[in-house]
Amino acid sequence: MGQKIDTQKNEQPAIIQVSDLHKYFGNFHVLKGLNAEINRGEVVAMIGPSGSGKSTFLRCLNRLEEPTTGSIKIDGTEIVDHRIDINKIRTEIGMVFQDYNLFPHLNVIQNVTLAPVNVRRMKYKEAEEIGMNLLERVGVAEKAKQYPSNLSGGQQQRVAIARSLAMQPKIMFFDEPTSALDPEMIREVLDVMRGLAESGMTMVVVSHELGFIREASNKVLVLEDGLVIEEGTPDKVFNHAENQRTQQFLSMIL
Amino acid sequence: MKSTLLERLKIHMNERYGHLPWFRRYEFLVPGLIITFLLSLVILPEQGRPENVMSFAAVLLIFMLFFGLAILIITDREKPVFLKRISSLLIILLFFVFFYQFSGTQWDRVRYQFLNVEKLEGVWPLYLNGLLVTLKLSAISAAAAMAIGLILGILRSLHNPVLELILSAYIDFFRAMPLIVNMVIVFYALPFLGINLNAFWSAATSLILMNSAYQAEIFRSGIESIPKRQVEAARSLGLRPMQAMRLVILPQAVRVIIPPLSNNLVSLVKDTAVAYVITVPELLTKARHAVVWKRNPTPIIISMFIYLATLLPLTRYTRFLENRSKRWVKR
Repeated sequence: MGQKIDTQKNEQPAIIQVSDLHKYFGNFHVLKGLNAEINRGEVVAMIGPSGSGKSTFLRCLNRLEEPTTGSIKIDGTEIVDHRIDINKIRTEIGMVFQDYNLFPHLNVIQNVTLAPVNVRRMKYKEAEEIGMNLLERVGVAEKAKQYPSNLSGGQQQRVAIARSLAMQPKIMFFDEPTSALDPEMIREVLDVMRGLAESGMTMVVVSHELGFIREASNKVLVLEDGLVIEEGTPDKVFNHAENQRTQQFLSMIL
Repeated sequence: MKSTLLERLKIHMNERYGHLPWFRRYEFLVPGLIITFLLSLVILPEQGRPENVMSFAAVLLIFMLFFGLAILIITDREKPVFLKRISSLLIILLFFVFFYQFSGTQWDRVRYQFLNVEKLEGVWPLYLNGLLVTLKLSAISAAAAMAIGLILGILRSLHNPVLELILSAYIDFFRAMPLIVNMVIVFYALPFLGINLNAFWSAATSLILMNSAYQAEIFRSGIESIPKRQVEAARSLGLRPMQAMRLVILPQAVRVIIPPLSNNLVSLVKDTAVAYVITVPELLTKARHAVVWKRNPTPIIISMFIYLATLLPLTRYTRFLENRSKRWVKR
């Protein structure tokens, strides 16, 4: 019986369901009743002018910001609820930040193994093995014993991705992962993200790398003033946008 | 032959040092030093306080000449470092020599009063006992104060309004209260409330109350110096708040905490001397006993050197820790 419910839960296509999400910072109304649905295996890109609430929305999804009201279901679990253990949910969601936020006092491999060892209670040897594989995958394995301050921005961001992946999450969030990088480093990070998208990871990406969005994403959400004003495939949004504000915004960044 | 050697030396000096102004060149400094030295042999007065204005002026002139030459060497970027070190050392030495010679102090009496080795006979066991008590009191107080200070610091960094009120009251109160008052109250007043602590534990309690208040602020400022983004990164990986504190925040905060914390620990060790007023048999108490017994203040001076010798390893060790905690910082 329990097994049946489980399989049902897994068959649900939407892994993230957001309805009527509001967020206030004091009196400042940032998110004004957002609705969104993200399916398993989808790569969703979020674009929009600065101050439109993209980052706040993303941070609400793992409750780094507390949503004011509304409903967010991650894999069927309602997380806008203080009785649930948000730490459990967060282990399923990887997050990559604009300024990497690696732990400067730990070397690269220690950064990657910290959470698996202390949250998943994995043996260090096992975590190290998984970690080294991931570092291999993102192409910084030879820096495993270095401290983050000795790495370039692009290398640090790739380590940050490996650090998130080490928890074997179901979903990955990227909050402007390439905005702080020099042009030649942007590519190495995007290549890693592209590989991740091809492997079938569910991804939510706040980014203005239109080339990457066109190529790698299934769905684009355009945010404006705390609302989703346009939603659809990259082709539809970039070439046949319905909303006038979307067209204006795209003409500015294209 | 002789003249050619001198000429070659002259040419060499010109090539090597020709770009320096005349007062920085060895041709000026070496004769200057010799002349000043010969002059000092002629015009310096006898030992003792200078009797008239002229002899005082002579002492001052000689010192200023040596001082000027030393300054010329020390402030020159191109002089070798060992020369600068030697000249600064010599000028400090010269100051003490002049002070010894011309201050008119009766050094025999000073020596008899304050550095009288004969009067130290038999007091060393006293020092040893006192030092052991001082070390025990310091170690217990430091360990407990750090544990309590850390907890209070973490609680304070949460910015909970109710906790904030209680903690800032505690911290402000015990930081403002003079330690000596604190000890007297704990030792003499608490028994009336039914709390009987012996002298040693009264002193320890006071030291812990005061230093935990100081350290709470040190730990709080260390914790708050770590950017919020670090906590967010840790929490987004699923680490619980206390795990994030233990694994991510505190190891980074240590770098900021160590210098003020070592300051605090050094003053804690010295503050144990205040326990003298409530009869704890620590180092200073024993030194005072020795003073009364030998009718000579030398033991107090010696206790100063013992404090110095005790604290020097501590400050060295914290400096080592500080450097080690910086190894991940890019230089």
